[in-house]
Amino acid sequence: MAMAIVRRLGQTLFVLFGISVLIFLVFFATPGSDPTARIAGRNASPETMARVRVEYGFDRPLPVQYWRMMEKLFVTRDLTSYVNRGEKVVPEVLQAAPVTLSLVSGAAVIWVAASVAMGTLAAALRGGWVDRGLMMLGLVGISIPVFWLGQVVNLVTQSRYHETWLFSWVPGLGYVPFSQDPLGWFRALVLPWITLAVLFVGLYSRVLRADLVATQAEDFMRTARAKGLSPARVLLAHGLRTSMISFVSLFGLDFAQLVGGGALLTEVVFGLQGVGRLTYQALANLDLPLIMATVMYSAVFVVIANAVVDLLYLLLDPRVRDGY
Amino acid sequence: MAGARARCLAAAGALLVGALLAGAACGAARAQTAPPTVGDGITLGSPHRGGTLRLTASSSGGTVDPQINYTSQYAQLFYVLYDGLLTFRKADGEAGNTVVADLAERVPAPEDGGRTWRFTLRAGLHFSDGQPITVADVAASFRRLFRVGSPTAGAFYGAIIGGDQCLRDPAHCTLQGGLETDDATRSVVFHLRQPDAEFLQKLAFPHAVILPAATPGHDLGNVPAPTTGPYMFASYDPDRGAVLVRNPHFRVWSADAQPDGFADRIQYDFGLPDEAEVTAVENGQYDWMFDMKPLDRLGELGARHTAQVHIRPLYGIYYAPMNVNIPPFDNPLARQAVSYALDRRAMTILYGGAAVAGPLCGMVPPGIPGALSDCAYTAGADPDDPAPSWRGPDLARARALVAQSGTAGQAVTVVAENTAIDMSMGVWLRNMLQSIGYRASVKTLAHGMQFSYIQNTANHVQISISDWFADYPSASNFLDDLFGCENFHPGSDNSINIAGYCNARVQAVMDRAKQTSDPAEAAALWTQAGRLVDRDAPAAPIIRINYIDLVSKRVGGYFYTTLYHLLFSRVWVR
Repeated sequence: MAMAIVRRLGQTLFVLFGISVLIFLVFFATPGSDPTARIAGRNASPETMARVRVEYGFDRPLPVQYWRMMEKLFVTRDLTSYVNRGEKVVPEVLQAAPVTLSLVSGAAVIWVAASVAMGTLAAALRGGWVDRGLMMLGLVGISIPVFWLGQVVNLVTQSRYHETWLFSWVPGLGYVPFSQDPLGWFRALVLPWITLAVLFVGLYSRVLRADLVATQAEDFMRTARAKGLSPARVLLAHGLRTSMISFVSLFGLDFAQLVGGGALLTEVVFGLQGVGRLTYQALANLDLPLIMATVMYSAVFVVIANAVVDLLYLLLDPRVRDGY
Repeated sequence: MAGARARCLAAAGALLVGALLAGAACGAARAQTAPPTVGDGITLGSPHRGGTLRLTASSSGGTVDPQINYTSQYAQLFYVLYDGLLTFRKADGEAGNTVVADLAERVPAPEDGGRTWRFTLRAGLHFSDGQPITVADVAASFRRLFRVGSPTAGAFYGAIIGGDQCLRDPAHCTLQGGLETDDATRSVVFHLRQPDAEFLQKLAFPHAVILPAATPGHDLGNVPAPTTGPYMFASYDPDRGAVLVRNPHFRVWSADAQPDGFADRIQYDFGLPDEAEVTAVENGQYDWMFDMKPLDRLGELGARHTAQVHIRPLYGIYYAPMNVNIPPFDNPLARQAVSYALDRRAMTILYGGAAVAGPLCGMVPPGIPGALSDCAYTAGADPDDPAPSWRGPDLARARALVAQSGTAGQAVTVVAENTAIDMSMGVWLRNMLQSIGYRASVKTLAHGMQFSYIQNTANHVQISISDWFADYPSASNFLDDLFGCENFHPGSDNSINIAGYCNARVQAVMDRAKQTSDPAEAAALWTQAGRLVDRDAPAAPIIRINYIDLVSKRVGGYFYTTLYHLLFSRVWVR
C-alpha cells in the first residue's frame, strides 16, 4: 500500500512536470505570443520593450525562465499575472476555487441522483417504452452542447420570460457567496447546476443501465435470484453495487476534471468567476502565469481523483482487494 | 485609445442643460440652509445627485496605473479620477475635442517657435489623500512616465529635452534641462528638442496625469494611486471589479476640465460575457456595459430598446495593411488593385449595417482635421481624379492592375482575428483576392494573438485585417502612427507600422505637419500626407465605425465625449 502511494506521488510529480514544460514551450513557440509587446503597451518604444524584456527576464534562456516561473509558482508563490500586473496568480486561483466547487458539487448531486434513478429504472424495465424513452432522453442530454444550453437557459430566464411569474425569481448572472447569502447562493447556482448536469445525467444513466444489464448474467446475480430474493432487492443490493464501479470511475475523473476548471463553458456563460472562467480568460489574454497556475491546479485534481477512485474500488468490489 | 476598441455615447444637450440649471438653482437655494458637502460643484442640490451607477464589463482592463494602462476601458475611468495640467473639455460630442486647462491655470501659448511651454499650477488643490498638489508632484509625474516605462514615454513625451536619456536610463531620469519648476510661482516649464504642435494634446492625454511625488516608480498593478477628480477608488480587484466613491478633497476648479459627479458611487463589476451584459442592462441589473454589443443582439436592441441605445461617432477605422516589402504587395499596382476591388458596402454590412459603420476612403476618419473628403479607389475614379464619395468597387480595373503588376496567380494569405466580424471580413477579402487573380487563403488567429502576429515581419504576413482608434483628434494618430518610418521595427511584435511603409517624402510632410502650430496649415499638410499615402496604398481603408452604447432605463442625462465616450460623472441614475 505504501509503495502504491509513493508510486502515485511519483506519477503526480511527473505529470505536473510534463504538463508545465509542454505549456511553457508551446507558449514561447507560438508566434505572436511574446508577452513583451503586451506588457510594454501598444506602440511602445524599442527602449521600453528592451526594458520590459530585462525586467521580466524574457531575455534569459528558456530553461532559466522556466525554472524561475516554477519557483515563483510553487516555492515563493508570488507569481504575478502578465495582464493584471500585481495580481498574484496563486491566491487568484484559490479565490476562484470555492465558486467552481459550489458549481460542480451541486451539479454532481443532481447528475448522480438523476442518473442512478434513470439508469436503474431503465434497466429494471429494459426493452419497454420507459427504457427506450429514458435512454433517448439521455442521448439528447449528451448531444446538447453545454454552452448552447446555457445560452438558451439565459435567453429564457434572463431575457424573454424574465418578467413572468415563472422566472422573476431568477437573479442576475454571477456568483453569490454561501457565507453572504445562502438563499442567494442557491438561486444563483440552481440553473447552472442543472445546465451542467444535463450532459452527465445522459452519459451516466446510459453507462449504468448497460452495466446493470450486463450484470444480470453474472453468477452472483443468479445465485441471489436462486436464493429467492425479490427482483428489486437483487437489482439494487447486488446488481447496482457492482455496476457502480464504472460509474464511480467516471465520476471521479469527471468531478476532478470539472473542479479543476473543466466547467469552463458553464462558468463563462453564467458569469461565475471560478477556475474555469479564469482559465478561459488566461487563454484569451495569453497570460502565461495564470495559464500555468490554472492548469497545474487542474492536473493536481485529476491525479488526486484518480487515486481516490482507486481506493473506492476497494470498497465497492471485493475482488479488487485481492490485488493488494 | 489607439488600438484598443473604444466605446461611446451620446448627450442629451437640452435636457442636460436644463438639469444643470435646475441643479444650480437648487444648489443656490440649499446653500443658505445646508453646509457645503463634498464636491461643492454644480451637482450640489441637484435632484439627480446621489445613487450608485452600476457598470459591467467582461473583464478588467489590467493595471490601474494611469501612466501605464493604455486601454480605452480604463482611460474612460481615469477620465473622472485623475487630472493632468491639461485635459480635453468634458463637453458633449466633438466639443470635447478641444484642450482646456485642468490643473494648470490656463492653456499656454507656444514660445520659442513651439519649443517652450510655460504653465502655472492652480493653487489650493489636493489629492484624495489630502496632500496638496505641488509643482514637485508635476515634475515627479513626468519623470515617472519614463521610470515606469509608459508606452507613450517615447512617442508622446520623448521630445522633452532629457527624454531620450530617460528612455535609455529610466532609473536615473531627471529630465534635466527639459522640465523646470518653481515652487514659489507654481510655474512648470517644458523645453522640447524640436517644436511639437501636438504637445498640448499629448499633455491632455491620460498618461500625463499628475500623481503624488511619492508614487512608487514601478507599475502600481492593483494598488490605485490617490486621485484628483470627483471620485477615488474604494476598492479594486481585477477579477471582480472596482468601487469608486466621492473624493472628499475634490472641489470644482473648472467644470470644463473636471465637473462634479452626479452619482455618489460607481460600481464596476467584471465577469459577465457580452451576451449576458446586454441582457443585464436591458433588465436594469446594470446601467451600462463596456463591451461591444454582439451582432446578433443589434436587431433586438434597435426594435425593443431604442430609447436606451445611443449611436455616436467614433474616431475608429477598420483597414487592411499590406506588407510593402514582400510579394505580391511590394508592387504598388497590386496594392491599388486591392483598394479598387474592396467592396466597402459589403464590409459595412458585415460590421452591422449603415447605422454603425460606413465606407472609408482615406486612412484618417472623417471629423479629424486633414481627413480626405474624396475617394480615389472607387468606380470611375483614381488618385488623380477622385470621386466625391465611394461609389462601388471597380473589379475590372482591379483585375487589370493585377495583370499589369505581373503578380497574378501568386499565393496570398489574409490573417484575421477569429472574432465574428473580423473573420467574416477576412473570408470576404480572400474571396475578393481570388476573384482578381490571386490564389488566396485566410488564416484566423486568436484575438489575443493576431495583433502581435501581424506586426512582426518575421511572420511574413502579406495582408491582414486590423482596426485603429485615435488617442486624440489628430491625423498623426493614423498617418504617422501607422505609416511613420519611426514606427516600423522589423522582427518586433510591437511594430505598429504593419505595412512596413517608409517613404521619405511622406515622412517629411508629416514631420512638417507635426511641427506646424497653425491648425489650418497643419490640416493642409496632413491632407497632403494623406494623399501621398493614398497613392502608395500601403493599406486599404475599409470602414469607419460608430459606437453603439446601451444604458439602462434608470440612466439620465446621457453624455458622450468623442474621445472617452460615456462620461461617468455627468450621467445620473434615477
